Order: sequence, then structure tokens, then C-alpha cells
Amino acid sequence: MRRRTKHQEDQAEVNMTPMLDIVFILLIFFIVTATFLSEEGLDMRPPPDSDTPPDTDAPPPIVVQVDDDNNIFVNRTRTDVDRVLSAVNRFRAEEPNSAVLLEVQDEAEHGIIVQIWDEMRANSVPVSIQRTNEDS
Amino acid sequence: MARRVSRVNTGEEEIELNMTPMLDVVFILLIFFIVTSVFIKEPGVDTLRPDAMTEEDRNPSMLVAVTADNEIWVNRRVYEMNELRGVIEQLLQENPKGRAMIQGDEGANIGLILDVQELLMEMDVEVHISTLQQ
Repeated sequence: MRRRTKHQEDQAEVNMTPMLDIVFILLIFFIVTATFLSEEGLDMRPPPDSDTPPDTDAPPPIVVQVDDDNNIFVNRTRTDVDRVLSAVNRFRAEEPNSAVLLEVQDEAEHGIIVQIWDEMRANSVPVSIQRTNEDS
Repeated sequence: MARRVSRVNTGEEEIELNMTPMLDVVFILLIFFIVTSVFIKEPGVDTLRPDAMTEEDRNPSMLVAVTADNEIWVNRRVYEMNELRGVIEQLLQENPKGRAMIQGDEGANIGLILDVQELLMEMDVEVHISTLQQ
């Protein structure tokens, strides 16, 4: 009887191993989920409103319009998605400081807008986005 | 026989005693990871996001997906535009400094994505547009 109680005490210490297994599994789970957070993205937020009046000396912006059917117009000339940058560069050759104003209609495709935005940013052309209503 | 068993047991006991400091360390690591981990609620839908060159790494804690069918998904459910404010308020309560990321599909309407972006900006949430992950 006494021998048996001693045996049980021994077993009580052996029982730590499954708990350690669980703790390890939890630890691995948290390590894996913690490194999962990173995402790549663009900042397409418009700049905050400022009280200073717009610079009147600034050259007029190059207007890139994308309509509901994903037709793209650079200063009212129709262009292809891949040729937007070359068209913008042609206008910027005359007015090197002009910015790009991206006027989008609500049903234009997100992918096209991001592509144009990204191309402008990659070539350090200042770009801002503006929505236009269908009736305007 | 019984004596031999007990001697073997004492040998085992000494080896297992050394586990305790390791267990302490493991527990501290576990608690550290529990505390630092921010649980992201996945939108629950796959979107084909546009590829970009000027993308930067962000650490969002809120994900809003807009599919090609112009459905807004947050936390595995579809929401209408007018329901979105309440949902985001709820997420903000869990994580007040949350930063958001909009996972817009290439075919989604830009108007809807700008609507979501404007809503999040109105609520003072830092928001970015998610692009294709490399």
C-alpha cells in the first residue's frame, strides 16, 4: 500500500510532459500567427484639406480621365492603359512641373486606377485622385 | 524487482526536474506572443489584387475586402455600405489604434473602394489600398 502511494507520486511528476507539449504547440501557433500580419499596400488617401490658397503659378494639371467603361483620356485624347505614362510624359516634357489629376467615374475598374496611380508614383509624377459624377 | 523499479524511477526524476526552468521560459515566451499578437479578422474572401511597384509594407489590423461583384466583406460576412460604419466601430473598440487595409479586386468599382476609404478616413482610421503580395 505504501509502495503504491510512492509510485503515484513519481507519476505525478511525469505528467508534466503532455502539458509541455500543449504549451509548445500554443507557442508555435502564436509565433506563426504573429508573423502573419504584414501586407503590402499603397497609400491612395487624398492629402488633408489646407487653408492656404492653391499656388496660382502652378501649371494646369494633366487630366487623366477614366470613365465607367474604362476608357482612358489624357487631356481629352483617348489612350490605352499602357500608354498613359508616355502620354503624360509627353505633356510633362513641355511643362515639367505639372501634376496629374486622375478623374475617375464610379464604375471604373479598381485595377486600372491602381495601375495608373502606381505608374505615376513610380516615375515620381505627383498624382491626386478625384471623383466625377456621371452628370457633370 | 520492486527495488529496481524504484531506482530507475529516481534516475528519471532527476532528469525531469531540469525541465522546470525551460518550462518557465516557454511560458514567458507564450505569454509574450499572446499579448503582442493582434488577431486579424480575415475578410473570408479571395480577391485578385492589382500589382504595384511603389507598394510598402504595412501592418494592418483590419481588413475590408471588395470583390469584383462589388460586395463588401468584413470578418467573413457581406455587408452593405450603410452597415459598414457599425461594423468598423465594433472592430475599433477591440483595437482602437487599428489600421485598415482595403483589399480591392482588380474588377471592383473604384467608386465603392473610394467610398470605403472615405468612410474609414472619416472615422480617423489609417487606411491603405492592398496590392498583390509578393
